[in-house]
Amino acid sequence: MDAQLEIQLIATVVAIACAIPGVFLVLRKMALISDAISHSILPGIVIGFFITEDLNSPLLILLAAVTGVITVVLVEAIQKTGLVKEDTAIGLVFPALFSIGVILIAKNANDVHLDVDAVLLGELAFAPFDRLIISGIDVGPKSLWVMGGILLATVGMLFAFFKELKVSTFDAGLSAALGFSPVVLHYGLMTVSSVTVVGAFEAVGAVLVVALMIAPAATAYLLTSDLKKMLVLSVIFGVTSAIAGYWMAHFLDASISGSMTTVLGLVFLTVYLFAPSKGLIAVMYRQKQQRTEVSLLTFLLHLNNHDEESERRVQHLNEHINWQKVRSKTVLDLAQKNNLIAIENDLVTLTSKGKEFTDLALEYIITNKDEKIEHMKDDFFLFRG
Amino acid sequence: MSKEKIAIRVDDLTVAYNYKPVLWDIDLEVPEGVLMAIVGPNGAGKSTLIKSILGIIDPIAGSVAIYGKPYEKQRKLVAYVPQKGSVDWDFPTTALDVVMMGTYGMLGWIKRPGTKEKKASLEALEKVGMLPFKNRQISQLSGGQQQRVFLARALVQDASIYFMDEPFQGVDATTEIAIINILKELRKAGKTVVVVHHDLQTVPEYFDWVTFLNVKKIATGPVRDIFNDDNLTKTYGINYKVAVNK
Ligand SMILES: Nc1ncnc2c1ncn2[C@@H]1O[C@H](COP(=O)(O)OP(=O)(O)OP(=O)(O)O)[C@@H](O)[C@H]1O
Ligand SMILES: [Mg+2]
Repeated sequence: MDAQLEIQLIATVVAIACAIPGVFLVLRKMALISDAISHSILPGIVIGFFITEDLNSPLLILLAAVTGVITVVLVEAIQKTGLVKEDTAIGLVFPALFSIGVILIAKNANDVHLDVDAVLLGELAFAPFDRLIISGIDVGPKSLWVMGGILLATVGMLFAFFKELKVSTFDAGLSAALGFSPVVLHYGLMTVSSVTVVGAFEAVGAVLVVALMIAPAATAYLLTSDLKKMLVLSVIFGVTSAIAGYWMAHFLDASISGSMTTVLGLVFLTVYLFAPSKGLIAVMYRQKQQRTEVSLLTFLLHLNNHDEESERRVQHLNEHINWQKVRSKTVLDLAQKNNLIAIENDLVTLTSKGKEFTDLALEYIITNKDEKIEHMKDDFFLFRG
Repeated sequence: MSKEKIAIRVDDLTVAYNYKPVLWDIDLEVPEGVLMAIVGPNGAGKSTLIKSILGIIDPIAGSVAIYGKPYEKQRKLVAYVPQKGSVDWDFPTTALDVVMMGTYGMLGWIKRPGTKEKKASLEALEKVGMLPFKNRQISQLSGGQQQRVFLARALVQDASIYFMDEPFQGVDATTEIAIINILKELRKAGKTVVVVHHDLQTVPEYFDWVTFLNVKKIATGPVRDIFNDDNLTKTYGINYKVAVNK
C-alpha cells in the first residue's frame, strides 16, 4: 500500500470511529465534553510517558482514557454543586488538567521529546511512518491498527447497546425505570469517547478529533428525524469530509488536519443553509409561505361570508382587504393552483373544494384537532403544526 | 380489607428540597386493584410524592415498598407517565418509536424489539387514538397528543402499577373520556392505577379510591367514604361544596 492510500484509510477509520460516539454526544448536548476530554488527557499521556519512556506504549492510551473519564467526573461534580452551569464547569476543568500536562512537559523538557503543538494539531502525513512490526513483518501503520481496533469495539457496542443508548439519551427517567442504568450507559459512552479521542489524537491531533466527533453529527441532525439515519449520515459526512480534506490539502499543499477541519465546517454550513426542513433557507421560505397562507385563509373566509358581487371583485382585494398588489396576486395564484376558487369576469367564487377547505381549516383553528386535515398538510405549511 | 394485597406502602416519608420539607411524614397504603386519585392544591407535593415512590427523588426519611419490596427490585412492575415529560423533544424519534421504548424493559439488555413489540405498540397507539400520527416526529405533536403517546408507552410496559401525573392536563373532553376508559380497563384487569387529578367534580365518577394531600396526608380511602366537604376543606383551606353522588 502506498502512503497516500494509507493516510486516507486511517482518516476513514478515524472518521467513522469519531462519528458514532459523536452522534450521542450531540444528542446529549455534550459536544463541549469532547473538547474537554481531548485537552485534559494530556497529563495522562505525559505521566504514562514518564513511566514507560515509550510513546507507543498502550499504557499511555489507558492512562489518557482514565484522565478523560476523570474529566467527566470532575465536570459533573462541579456542576452538581449547582453553583455553575455545565459549560462553566467544563471551562474550569479542562484548562486546569491541560496546564498540568503542559507544566509537566515544560519541567522535563530536556529529556522528553513531546511537544504541545504536535499533540494539539497532530500530523496525519506522518502516521504511515509509524509502522507496526510483528515478528519482523511490517503489517501496516500502527495507528491504523489502533483505530481499527477501537472502531471494531465501538461498532460492536453500538449494535449491542443501540436501544439502551437510545432510551437513556431520550429519557433517562424511563431508562432507569426499565432497568437500564443511565449512569452506567453515560460512563460507558464517556469511556468510549475518551478512548476514541486518545486513539485518534495521536494520528490526527486534538482539534480534528473534536471536529470529526461533532461536525458530522451536527450536520446529520439537521437532515433527519430518525436516529439510525442520523448515525449513517454522520458516518458518510465524516468519511467524505476527511477524504475531501485530504485531497484539498494535497492540492493546496496545506496541513491535512486543517483542511479536513475546514471541509467539515463547510459541509455543516452548506447543510445548515440548505437542509430541506431545518435549514435556514427552508425555515425562511416556510415562514413566508405561512404568511401567504394565512392571507389565503382570510380571503377564503371573506368569500365564504360574502355573496355580494361587490365584495367578490378581484380589485376589491387590493382596496378593501388592504393588500398590496403583489400580495393579492400571490394569494390568488395559490388559491387557483389548489382549485379553491374560480375567477370569471374578475369575479371570484369559492369552488366546492374551496368551501370544504375553508370549513375544515376553520374547524381546525377552533378545535386544534388535526385528524381531518392530514391531507392538507402536504400542500400547506400552515397545517403542519 | 386486611385480606387485600397492598400494592404500594409508604412509611413515614419526609421529602425536602434544599432542606425545606415539602412532604411531611406521609403514611400511605394503596390496595391492589384500585383506581386512585391524588388531589391537593398546586405545590401540595403530589408530583414529589410520586417521584419519591419511584426513587427519582431521595427522601430524607421514611421508606417505600412496592408489593413489599423496595422499588429498585420492582421496577418492572411499575409504569410512570410524568406531568411534563422531561424528555428531549427534539430527539430524532417518532411517536411509534417512543411507544416501542416501553417494551424495552421486558426485553432486557441487548435484545432488540421485533414484530411482537411493534404490534403491541401499534395497538397501544390505536387505543389512545394516535395511530394516524405514528410516524410523526414527537416535537411536531400537540401537547395533548404528546401526553397520549406517553400514555401509550406506559400501556405497552404491561406493568402492575401505573402512576400518572395529571394525564388529563391539556387534553380535550373526548380524549379525557377515552383515557379514563383505558384506566378503568386497567383496573378491571387487576392493575393498580394512581392518578394526580385536579378536577374535583369528576373524582367520584372516575375513581374508587382517593388520597388528599397537602404537605401532609389529610386522608386516604374509598371515594364513597372519605370524599366529602370536610376533607376537601382541610386540603384546600376553603369551604368546598362538591356534590358527591352516592
Ligand atoms: N426541584 C425543586 N426544587 C425546589 N423545590 C421544588 C422542586 N420541585 C418542587 N419544589 C417545591 O416543592 C413543592 C411541591 O412540589 P410538587 O411539584 O410536588 O407539587 P404538586 O402538588 O405536584 O403541584 P402541581 O399541582 O402544581 O403539579 C412546591 O412548593 C414546589 O415549589
Ligand atoms: Mg405536580
